[in-house]
Amino acid sequence: MDVVLRTIFVFFLILVITRAVGRRELSSLEPFDLILLVVIGDLVQQGVTQSDYSLTGATMVIVTVAVLTVLTAWLSFRFRRLRPLLEGDPVILVANGRILERNLRRQRMTVDELGAEARLAQIGSLEDVRYAVLETSGRISFVTATS
Amino acid sequence: MTKLFADVAAVPDSRGEIVGLWARRAVLTIFAAIAVLGLLDVFGQGTTRTAASTPAAVVRVSAPAAVRGGLFFQSRVDIRARRAIAHPRLVLDEGWIEGMQVNSIEPSPVGEASRDGRLVLSYDGLKAGERLVVWLEFEVNPTNTGHRSYGLELDDADTRIAAIHRHITIFP
Repeated sequence: MDVVLRTIFVFFLILVITRAVGRRELSSLEPFDLILLVVIGDLVQQGVTQSDYSLTGATMVIVTVAVLTVLTAWLSFRFRRLRPLLEGDPVILVANGRILERNLRRQRMTVDELGAEARLAQIGSLEDVRYAVLETSGRISFVTATS
Repeated sequence: MTKLFADVAAVPDSRGEIVGLWARRAVLTIFAAIAVLGLLDVFGQGTTRTAASTPAAVVRVSAPAAVRGGLFFQSRVDIRARRAIAHPRLVLDEGWIEGMQVNSIEPSPVGEASRDGRLVLSYDGLKAGERLVVWLEFEVNPTNTGHRSYGLELDDADTRIAAIHRHITIFP
C-alpha cells in the first residue's frame, strides 16, 4: 500500500513544483537544470521505491504514475476551471507589436531572451512580431506582421 | 493538400480506431486495478495478525502476509503465559528464514537450534501472567520469491503449547 501512496504524493509534489517553478525554466534546460533534474529523479526514486527491488513494486509505481497522468489529463479536459491549475494558461508577451513588460517580468524573462527566441523562430527583429505567446508547453509562438 | 496529408486523411478506419480506443481503455483499467490492489495491500506489505489461545498461553503474531524483494519488514511474536512455562521455545517454520536476511531478533534468544529444519529460539522461563514480546526484523532477498509456511509453535521444552498456522507470499 505504502508504495502506491508514496507514488501519489510524489506525483502531485512534482506537479506543484513544476507549476511553481514556471514553464520557462523547465522548457529551456541549461546544463545545470539538466543535472538538477537527474538529481531530483534520483531523490524521487529513493523516496518512492526505497529499498524495494521487486518487479511488483516497479510495476505498481509505473502503473500508478500512468493512471495519475491520464487522470489529470482527463480532469484538465473535462473541467475547464482546473485547466489553469493543472496546465497553466498561455501568456501573451507581445500584443499588436507592443511588448508587455509586466508579463515578461512575471515570467522572469528579459527582452533579450524574447529576442533570442524570435531569432530561433527565424524572425530578424522584434519589430516584426505582432503577437508572441508563451504557451503552456513553455515554448513561445510568434505571429509576425506579415503572416 | 500534399500527398502525405492526403494519405493520412485516406486512412480513417473507424473499426480499427474503435478497437484501439477500447484496447487503450482496457489497459488503463487494468493499470487502475493494479494500483487499487496495491492500495489494498494485496502485493504487500501490510501487517496481519494471527492469534492462538490455549490454557497455557496466548500467542499473537503480527507480520506481513505478503512482501516484495528488498523490503524491510518486522514480525512480532507476543506471548502471554497463563501458567508457568519453564522452557519457552519458539519453533519457526522455514518461511521465516528462507531467503530472508535476519537483521535482528530482540530480545536475543538464550539458545538457537534446529528441529527438522525449523529454527528453535529458546528463552528464559515465564511465570504465570508474564509477557514475552519478540521483535524480528528482516529484509527480503531480492531473488527470493514464492509462497511459504510462516507459522510458529510455542513449546515448553519439547511439549507443544500453542501453534499458529500462516503463510507468507514473496512477490518477485
